[in-house]
Amino acid sequence: MPTKTVTVASSVGLHARPASLFAQAAAKVGLPVTLTSAVGKSVNAASILGVLSLGIGHGEQVTLSTEGDGAEAALESLAAVLNTDLDKE
Amino acid sequence: MPNDESKPLHDLLAEASINLDASATSRDDAIRQAGAGLMAVGAVDAAYVDAMIERENTVSTFMGEAVAIPHGTLAAKDWVTADALSMVRFPDGVDWDGNDVRLAFGIAAKGNGHIALLSQLATVLMDPDKAEALRNATTIDTVYQLLTPDPDSDETGE
Repeated sequence: MPTKTVTVASSVGLHARPASLFAQAAAKVGLPVTLTSAVGKSVNAASILGVLSLGIGHGEQVTLSTEGDGAEAALESLAAVLNTDLDKE
Repeated sequence: MPNDESKPLHDLLAEASINLDASATSRDDAIRQAGAGLMAVGAVDAAYVDAMIERENTVSTFMGEAVAIPHGTLAAKDWVTADALSMVRFPDGVDWDGNDVRLAFGIAAKGNGHIALLSQLATVLMDPDKAEALRNATTIDTVYQLLTPDPDSDETGE
């Protein structure tokens, strides 16, 4: 299964606003995407509650995985979301 | 790592910050009530409540499970004097930008306290049975019981 490991750029971690934007982006790719924390806990990346439950802080590594048509492109686009400081307004 | 100051949810949620039988005429009214719960324990200034509405106008804090978690903008952390949680239950629901919200958890956090706090709250709400029980909770004891982590479940957020 294609996977991609990313460092979370958001200065405050994956909390409400970045988590919400990320989960929305994950829901839009049309493939079931799994988000796994550095300690190995996995959740549905499209679930805001799931993403929040991981409690991921700034600079922590997470792994995205999915499979199906366009899996690589989907991972690239979601990695780009995590690589952006989503809390900049 | 960043979650060094993780306090249990039930320690952050004072009885004075819980209203289990509220009604609101609008989303902003509901946010102000959640904010009032934080002000009741002196955790935030009134300016923080304005920032909660400002944040909501940027990105919804609706989380699914008929729950929203209004909180201030990053800049508003200056108005937070202590990490705290408030809980307002709306048995008749509130129209939250098209979503039906039954529970609003107001959140005040300094520094990185919000990460551990949100992680704990999300972990509780991910269990559909617990989420439903919280939506239907009519006593403070029930709320505290539901927010206490299950000792058998995996510990995260540490």
